[in-house]
Amino acid sequence: MLDTILCIDDDPITLMLCKMVITKASFSNEIATARNGEEALNYFNTLKNTNSDGESKRLPQLIFLDLNMPVMGGWEFLDCFCSDDYSDYNHIKTIILSSTIDPEDLKRSKKYPMVIDFLSKPISKEMLEYVKIKINSTP
Amino acid sequence: MKNKTNQIALIYVLISIFLAIVSHKLLPKHLSFTDFSSYIFINDILFILVSGILIKYLLYKNDIKNSSVFKKLKKSNDEIKESNERYDIVAKATSDTIWDWKIEEDRLLWNKGIEGVFGYKQDQVGKSSKWWFENIHPEDSIKMSIKLYSFIEQKTEKWQDQYRFKCADGTYKYVLDRGFILKDEEGKVVRMIGAIQDITKQKEEEQRLKLLETVITQTKDSVIITQADLNDGEIPKIIYVNPAFSVMSGYSSDEIVGKSPDLFIGQNSDSQEYEKLINAIKNKEECQVETINYTKNKEEYWVSFSMLPVNNSDGELSHWVSIQRDITDEKKQEIEKEQLIRELTQNNKDLQQFSYITSHNLRAPLSNLTGLLSLIEDIPIDNQELRAVLDGFNKSTNLLNETINDLVKVIVIKDNPSIQKEDVQLKEVFENVFSQLDFLIGLHKPIIKIDFEKVKFLNTNKAYLESILLNLLTNAIKYRSEKHQSKITISANKVHNDVVMIFKDNGIGIDLLRNKDKIFGLYQRFHDYPDSKGLGLYLVKSQIETMGGTISIESEVNIGTTFTLTFKNK
Repeated sequence: MLDTILCIDDDPITLMLCKMVITKASFSNEIATARNGEEALNYFNTLKNTNSDGESKRLPQLIFLDLNMPVMGGWEFLDCFCSDDYSDYNHIKTIILSSTIDPEDLKRSKKYPMVIDFLSKPISKEMLEYVKIKINSTP
Repeated sequence: MKNKTNQIALIYVLISIFLAIVSHKLLPKHLSFTDFSSYIFINDILFILVSGILIKYLLYKNDIKNSSVFKKLKKSNDEIKESNERYDIVAKATSDTIWDWKIEEDRLLWNKGIEGVFGYKQDQVGKSSKWWFENIHPEDSIKMSIKLYSFIEQKTEKWQDQYRFKCADGTYKYVLDRGFILKDEEGKVVRMIGAIQDITKQKEEEQRLKLLETVITQTKDSVIITQADLNDGEIPKIIYVNPAFSVMSGYSSDEIVGKSPDLFIGQNSDSQEYEKLINAIKNKEECQVETINYTKNKEEYWVSFSMLPVNNSDGELSHWVSIQRDITDEKKQEIEKEQLIRELTQNNKDLQQFSYITSHNLRAPLSNLTGLLSLIEDIPIDNQELRAVLDGFNKSTNLLNETINDLVKVIVIKDNPSIQKEDVQLKEVFENVFSQLDFLIGLHKPIIKIDFEKVKFLNTNKAYLESILLNLLTNAIKYRSEKHQSKITISANKVHNDVVMIFKDNGIGIDLLRNKDKIFGLYQRFHDYPDSKGLGLYLVKSQIETMGGTISIESEVNIGTTFTLTFKNK
């Protein structure tokens, strides 16, 4: 059971679904959400600023990232996140969760070292089992 | 001569009489009368001696004269003999037939050539000019005799004509006849001597060359012949152009001979192609370029310009032959075609983008539906009606999901005309497929026989192969016959470079008479069974054809279906 997970997706229903499934599978304690890449970056910014506060948000151990989002999409988020500004955080394992079929997207995802997998929506219990095994086996 | 002998005789007589008178007068003075007989005797002896001396002198003179005449005669005789010999040898050596026509008597003599060249034996040869004229080809004889007689009238020195002469065997030979006339002192033509040369071979060669020449002069392609050497880095100078050239370029033959084809180059001509041409000429290699040329009126046209080296009999480069074709129309079409292809490709790309985006936008909410529905599974529902509704919801959503997934697969296949191939072990793929259909197989328990002994490995795309087998096996199980146990056999065989896989079942079959054309079509179903979207076979066909293979079907209703798949094993 992980402590905190961050789900970044613009669709509220998807977020709701994610929360419900993750809770049911007892996959994580806390589930943080962001509606787009920009919100996600802000989340990490706040994390930086509030360090030892007891109420501070906790550092997520896994990120579920959607690609098609307004304001800042998945790729832009990853590009920003891999920069030195977020050097404390860009080791966090990320799973891209998308409904795209474009093989170009799959290829592109391999370019980012923090992305450990590319999975298709919808999220499910079995998927979480698979993810659990994967994060335990990869260093 | 008669006069001379008379003269000499007269002189002799006169001298003798003189001598006789002298001695008659003298001797009586020196001698007496009684020595009459001795007087006569002395007179006679004196007379004889003097006559003897005179005769000797005269004969001697005659002799000299005779021998000098004889020498002269002998000399000219020898010359004549030599000349005759020469004539004989020349007549033998030459293949010409020599004739000698004495015009007044109309006697015509031929040398041996008449036999050697035309095959006439001595007895076949006529004696007069009539025979000669009779053997001239009827088409030529009138023209020839007119020319001959007018020549004789005009008394010009030399005559020459070409006509056909009949040989002994009836065939005609082309001849060149040359003659000289001999006139007498009054200027009248008395004799004519000529030589006939057999020019049949030359004539034939001439006609052959004329025929070949018409190829160059009549062809629509423009032909240029140039000198061999580059001229200051320009293309070699032109020495001949054919009529088609003038039509194509607007330059007449006089205007362009002696100039270099560099004249045709203008603004839009391709300088790279020009360089290519110059280099090929330097290296004495043949070359073909396409570029824009300019006519005399500075109009542009596309030309295909080829340059071929021509060697003389010593094997050295003597000329270049260039053939040009006006390809303006073809080029235009090419450009249009390329434009069309670009537009189509762009269109295709756009459509594909569109389908990706659309499918994504469809799948996003669909994934939500699926996720939500799976959550519902865990929530206990007591209301029967609600449960039924949710059930239907579930089924329809699943079907929708699968349809979209299949469509997506189709788009991906169409997008990838060339796919990766690898060596896959058939047994392994099958085990994979079986494990995916574990549930179905466990439920219906079909007898599945596989035979991959002859072909263990196949060079193909693993994912596609798996998908094809999954589809076919699913179909075979789904559409089994209720009447007997389902039996499915799958075997593979090598046929030349291909691998043929046979997938046979004993299920409900398909009515091919009705559905032959639709069998592999999109969204085609041939039965009432549920769970069928009509996409499976379409997908299978797309996948196998993308890999360069083929699929065919044989089926009978209630007996079974056999699919024959051919994979290219390279």
